[in-house]
Amino acid sequence: MFFHIVLERNMQLHPRYFGRNLRDNLVSKLMKDVEGTCSGRHGFVVAVTGIENIGKGLIRDGTGFVTFPVKYQCVVFRPFKGEILEAVVTMVNKMGFFAEAGPVQIFVSNHLIPDDMEFQSGDMPNYTTSDGSVKIQKDSEVRLKIIGTRVDATEIFCIGTIKDDFLGVINDPATI
Amino acid sequence: MFGTETLIVFFPSEAPLLCPFLLLLWLKRLLAMSEKGGKGASSLLSKGGLGSLRGKDDSATKSAKGRRVQFSNDGPLESGISSSSLTSLKSGGKGGKGEQIANGGKSSQSKDSHSSEHRVDQKLPENIKCLMDCEAVDILQGIQEQMVMLSRDSTIKMPISFEKGLQYAKSSSKYTNLQSVRRSLEPLAKCGLTDSEISVIGNVCPETVDEVFALLPSLKVRINVDRQVLKDSLSELAKFRQPM
Repeated sequence: MFFHIVLERNMQLHPRYFGRNLRDNLVSKLMKDVEGTCSGRHGFVVAVTGIENIGKGLIRDGTGFVTFPVKYQCVVFRPFKGEILEAVVTMVNKMGFFAEAGPVQIFVSNHLIPDDMEFQSGDMPNYTTSDGSVKIQKDSEVRLKIIGTRVDATEIFCIGTIKDDFLGVINDPATI
Repeated sequence: MFGTETLIVFFPSEAPLLCPFLLLLWLKRLLAMSEKGGKGASSLLSKGGLGSLRGKDDSATKSAKGRRVQFSNDGPLESGISSSSLTSLKSGGKGGKGEQIANGGKSSQSKDSHSSEHRVDQKLPENIKCLMDCEAVDILQGIQEQMVMLSRDSTIKMPISFEKGLQYAKSSSKYTNLQSVRRSLEPLAKCGLTDSEISVIGNVCPETVDEVFALLPSLKVRINVDRQVLKDSLSELAKFRQPM
């Protein structure tokens, strides 16, 4: 889910950036440092939308660097356990399938796929019901529920399920 | 010295074959851990466990380097949770492909998951605003238009997460009129639904009240959720839905 939040960060600026463009330099450094990063607490920082406040700079002892506390607004994307979202399938194999929702990767294990769907290997591996009416393959859109999340250095990875009511395929690319 | 979950890792591969009593004890621990870890975890554990039962040579050494996968139990939809409990499991032995896939094909070390920055159980700060996908599209498209002007500076490049976020928000945004969508969901806030629950309803656009209760089981226990108000909001929402 997307959130609009206010975060604070201490930015260190080299004296070469001082001058009349100090604020612009600080803002562009903030955007380079923060956009595209990922943390367990806030999720992916998708974009910085504005600067709320830039505090007074503090000169660090021994170096010429100055630390500015910057409060900024940003859009973040963070998945939560129990959240329902719609994702696009990127890969299917006998262990389950991978899907993507924005910058987040989600894995749905075959144990969390309804029992009446079976894995069919081939050029286009897929999960299909016994009567062939519902198929999950690459580029299918599925509605799933997040049941767990994990963060490493650069991305968030989730485990999802489609075994509950009202979950499963929304859009089969084969029928388009 | 070692936690209960490491016992299974260091258990000698030959012993279960020789000693039925030890085999029973091992199976008991396996079952206890799989109850703790949930269905998905038990399937991985059983694969890892069977691997070591088969007495493969390198199972003990491989399981010593086994990875720790932590799943967070936290979420804005679950009110009243002050601190989360992490469920951890260690996939051991010949978990093989299943193990790799459950970890997303990554070989991240367990120490990464311990650093405070990466813990997903941390609560978000108080002053946050949930955004529906249609609202996020508005904001991100505005930023993208600004970036077109700034793109003359080659050092400024939009990160991949921005492109993916915008594409996702566009594809899942279903409505023609953003303000009307917000207005039709306002009565739900008076019923006591949280911001995040309203955003999920807005994103998913359920057709019936039963679907809402199935997707958001936390609503079932709340007494003051009026089915009629929910039904009215859903029918209002359906009017603004874009044709497929």
